[in-house]
Amino acid sequence: MKFSIFRFDPEHDAKPYMQDFEMELLPTEHMLLDVILRLKQQDPTLTLRKSCREGVCGSDAMNINGRNGLACITRLRDLIEPVVIRPLPGFPIIRDLVVDMTQFYKQYHSITPYLINAEPLPEKELLQSPGERDRLNGSYECILCACCSSQCPSYWWNPDKFVGPAGLIQAYRFIVDSRDRATNERLDDLNDAYRLFRCRTIMNCAEVCPKGLEPVYAIERIRLKMSGAGDKDGALDTHPPLSPR
Amino acid sequence: MRTPDIRSTGLAAWWVQRLSAAYMLVFVIFLLTTFAIDPVQSYAQWLGWVGRPGTRMALATFFAALLSHMWVGLRDVLLDYAKPPALQRLLLATVGAGLLAIAISVVWILASIPR
Repeated sequence: MKFSIFRFDPEHDAKPYMQDFEMELLPTEHMLLDVILRLKQQDPTLTLRKSCREGVCGSDAMNINGRNGLACITRLRDLIEPVVIRPLPGFPIIRDLVVDMTQFYKQYHSITPYLINAEPLPEKELLQSPGERDRLNGSYECILCACCSSQCPSYWWNPDKFVGPAGLIQAYRFIVDSRDRATNERLDDLNDAYRLFRCRTIMNCAEVCPKGLEPVYAIERIRLKMSGAGDKDGALDTHPPLSPR
Repeated sequence: MRTPDIRSTGLAAWWVQRLSAAYMLVFVIFLLTTFAIDPVQSYAQWLGWVGRPGTRMALATFFAALLSHMWVGLRDVLLDYAKPPALQRLLLATVGAGLLAIAISVVWILASIPR
């Protein structure tokens, strides 16, 4: 199987280049990450992030044949050759497939991703009914892999001002959490020409999310809540994830 | 953190875009229906129709909706793509001035129509 991988070491290379590899697949290799790690055994300078190898940590998010995805859950047999592997688009490149996630995490932190509740704590738990807990479905599952934000053109143009789909779906998660008491403050914080309203409903985010989440609908629900034109607080729909081809 | 130098909120622009689009849609349908049922046969008839106070008001509102819709759209493009803040402010001011000039021109034309 043929692979073409983005290479760039700022300490040695004047500019990035694509390196071609051809590998005979082993019977035990089913996912793209398996081959990339074997490639790394041949060429130890190939640099990437990886961890759980089962699609829950989000470390190995990369651009595969033009579409963002997780290498550990991208099936080799589904891929068109040559498999072109690039780092996440729009993010500063540290080396090869490793990108700088600082701005992405800054946007995540800017939406105050924690419960804000200054009321006196109850004797035991801060109770939440099963119905109230179900409202978090479709948003809590985000693994912050950055596939969505790095495929969003609006995020490319203003990464420092537009929160991005990942941050906004997490903002929705806290807005609809029954235990949180800062809903108005959260909505007010997002009511800005840039923070939420750069979203043009392009829907790349929902297209590439490896967990099948739909940040674009979270953004729409937040808009409706802000405008008072709708008050749908329920769970977000999810769909079977679409892998890179 | 919110961007300090953009005065209008995102929500206000969102409402302007949607309400102006809704009004323009209704008005265009009304216009097409009116002329389909009772087509204008002469300039005098056209002048009579446009000169009515109700029509004048509706037309003025249509152009107000159109120009505010254009302002939100062009502002969105400039907020996305015009990067140096000074250039962005200059382009926004230029677009704003252009739309204002069109608005003044529309008001002048509508006011000049004989009753």
